[in-house]
Amino acid sequence: MEYARKPEPVDVVIVGMGASGGTAAKVLCEAGLKVVGLERGPWLRPREHFSGDEIKFLNRTYLWSDPRVNPRTVRTDETEKAVPTPFSMVPQMVGGGTVHWAGWLPRPRPSDFMMRRLHGDIEGASLADWPITYDDLEPYLSKVEWAFGCAGLDGADKYEPYRSTPYPTPPAPPTRAGKRFYDACKKLGINAMPIPQALITKPYKGRTPSNWTSFWNGYGDPSGMRSSTLDTFVPEALATGNLELRSECYVREVTVGADGRARGVVYVDADGREIEQEANLVLLCLGAVESARLMLLSTSRQHPDGLANSSGQVGRNATFHEYLFAVGLFNDEQPLYGFPGNYISGGSFQFYETDYDRGHIGGALIGASHVGQPINWNFPGRPAWGSAAKDADRDFYNHAMKIGHTLHDMPVESNRVDLDPDVKDGWGLPAARITHKAHPNDFRLAKWQVDKNVEILEAAGAWKTIPVYLERGRASGNTCHQHGTVRMGTDPGTTVLNEWCQAHDVDNLYVLDGASFPTATGVNPTLTIMANAWRCADYIAEVHAKGRVERLAPGRAGRVEARTS
Amino acid sequence: MTSMADWPVVPAPADSGSGERLFFDDHEWDTIEAACARIIPTDHDPGAREAGAVRFIDRYLSGIDFVYAAADGSGFLQMSGKLADAWRARVSDLGRVYRQGVRDLDAIARERFGADFVALGESDQDAVLVQLSGRPKPAPVALVDDGGKPTIQVYAFDDDLTFFDALVAHTRQGFYGDPVYGGNRDRIGWTVIGFPGPESLKDTMDGTYSVREYYVQDYDWHDLIPHLGQSGTP
Repeated sequence: MEYARKPEPVDVVIVGMGASGGTAAKVLCEAGLKVVGLERGPWLRPREHFSGDEIKFLNRTYLWSDPRVNPRTVRTDETEKAVPTPFSMVPQMVGGGTVHWAGWLPRPRPSDFMMRRLHGDIEGASLADWPITYDDLEPYLSKVEWAFGCAGLDGADKYEPYRSTPYPTPPAPPTRAGKRFYDACKKLGINAMPIPQALITKPYKGRTPSNWTSFWNGYGDPSGMRSSTLDTFVPEALATGNLELRSECYVREVTVGADGRARGVVYVDADGREIEQEANLVLLCLGAVESARLMLLSTSRQHPDGLANSSGQVGRNATFHEYLFAVGLFNDEQPLYGFPGNYISGGSFQFYETDYDRGHIGGALIGASHVGQPINWNFPGRPAWGSAAKDADRDFYNHAMKIGHTLHDMPVESNRVDLDPDVKDGWGLPAARITHKAHPNDFRLAKWQVDKNVEILEAAGAWKTIPVYLERGRASGNTCHQHGTVRMGTDPGTTVLNEWCQAHDVDNLYVLDGASFPTATGVNPTLTIMANAWRCADYIAEVHAKGRVERLAPGRAGRVEARTS
Repeated sequence: MTSMADWPVVPAPADSGSGERLFFDDHEWDTIEAACARIIPTDHDPGAREAGAVRFIDRYLSGIDFVYAAADGSGFLQMSGKLADAWRARVSDLGRVYRQGVRDLDAIARERFGADFVALGESDQDAVLVQLSGRPKPAPVALVDDGGKPTIQVYAFDDDLTFFDALVAHTRQGFYGDPVYGGNRDRIGWTVIGFPGPESLKDTMDGTYSVREYYVQDYDWHDLIPHLGQSGTP
């Protein structure tokens, strides 16, 4: 499509069409706003482009950012030179991380929003309360679960917080590994339950649950059984006629007017043309690493240290949820089967809340999972070659399982995203540089939880267990989970966004992805990201776009009229 | 530039069953085939030699015609743009690593045993691989407490691999990957470890291939989750 050098201005431009951008597009377009969605990556067609090809999806990065085009560098502290590392990579495409994911869809817990109130100042950490509570988010958690499609079992989670709605579809059947997990938990008195998951198990909104291939975690789903924004919210936004989606358009800068407010964005299209799109509102939805990077790239006379960065906090307090686990190898007659399932089968919130007797704060949602497909199934220490390697595959591929968790890591102010001074991406712009050193609480929590997972595997009858702890100085970045680089809060001196994820410094700039999270939470973040994006998009459509301003009363749910602008 | 969503599907330059050599010369082919056969050896079950792992590697290194199969396996994607450039550079780097790797195998073999790698017996070939890798030959999985292990990356990228690590990774891919890439002949890798695997990639797109029979068939959530009985909800 040919565009004039400057296309018509629109109400809203959304940068990044993944979990949060897709959600915001749906809400804003359905409210009647004119939206342009810009996505750096491709706009793939699930029924045409996805299938169960392990080499393509897991070994040759078909959905993933190619590190040669989108490099990222990592170091442990400011004295080191950062080295290129594929750290916390997320698919950069329409649908983003909801294209490849296993679809864990657990709700956060009330305690996640008030870690500082509960625990005070923890040395070396920058704990902060959220400016919102679980109650503020709850209606939107329900909206996402029902609009998006979700499977779960009502009443199974003993520790579940208040829910205003039941689950829309029942859980997938347990796998044999899942059954072992349930049985072991029963023996140990642990409350196990199916982890809520972003998939449907009965016909739902024109979708059919027909993908039982188990090519799941890391693969695109050709069937529509998995909930992704590519297959749900983006088509729904397009159906309103109010969304124009431009894929393979790489936004390199948010531009500002003389008043310092956002004017629009400049992007490079697939043919290398540079185009400015003006809009009344700019929404950043690139993921916590790339949203912070784009703000730091967007320097101007009015914003010399990066856009909306008068606090100097853009990029800081980054958290990454390292995935840690224990593997159990079994030598009995009953095969567990390594391959079937939708990755997870059975989990527990029993260890989620703080218990000071454990010597750390926070806790973990644990999940039992199958081991995957033949090439990439693995356990640390698996023999690499020779007859020992062949025997390990033959003996254990169908006799192994793991129990893992994503680490609820502490925010640390010096853990940050900034611009690498040397390494450039495929467009000649500085790569995101990540500085990360794990907090002592992270090591203690990881150790305790992995040991507990070993105990459950032993109760399940494992012959050998292999614990995987947080070992090095920093996280390895082995999940897509990324948060905290553009915190929300009430104090413009120490946070970047207010409670609606609107920049304190720039009232027509919003950041709706996980960057806004003051703390990491201990759950997989996408449901919280999507619910929060819906909440803020609702505010944009119902309040901001109508020329009004409202604030949340601190400490309680509900809005108060602040002033009329 | 063609958008990634519209990369054309083109027929593979070589039939998946053909023995045509696209990258290696005869000596390189024979050397890599012999090395693959030590990575996944033949015993009472077929190994990497029978699966055609060397053909899989030869195709991968031949350019960018065999990087991504079409979703339904009807051909391969013809890449363009920045991703094509990145893959061309990656494959070219790997090709150099393999060519040097063959020279290194022969140099060690000649120095220690007086003949090219391919001419050695299995145990001498293993000794060469041990020396090349700088690590002992892997021992069987044993019930010993070997302590905690560092995290493993969930996704691997084919950059900055040594020859030995590339050989191990690609032999595995050539043994267990979908046959459309030229390895896993007659799906024998899958048979060896008891993975059913689809007849074709197309079968994974339309519901034809299902492993639902491997889930638990008879279950009652109330039996698996005692709390359900106490919570008063179904």
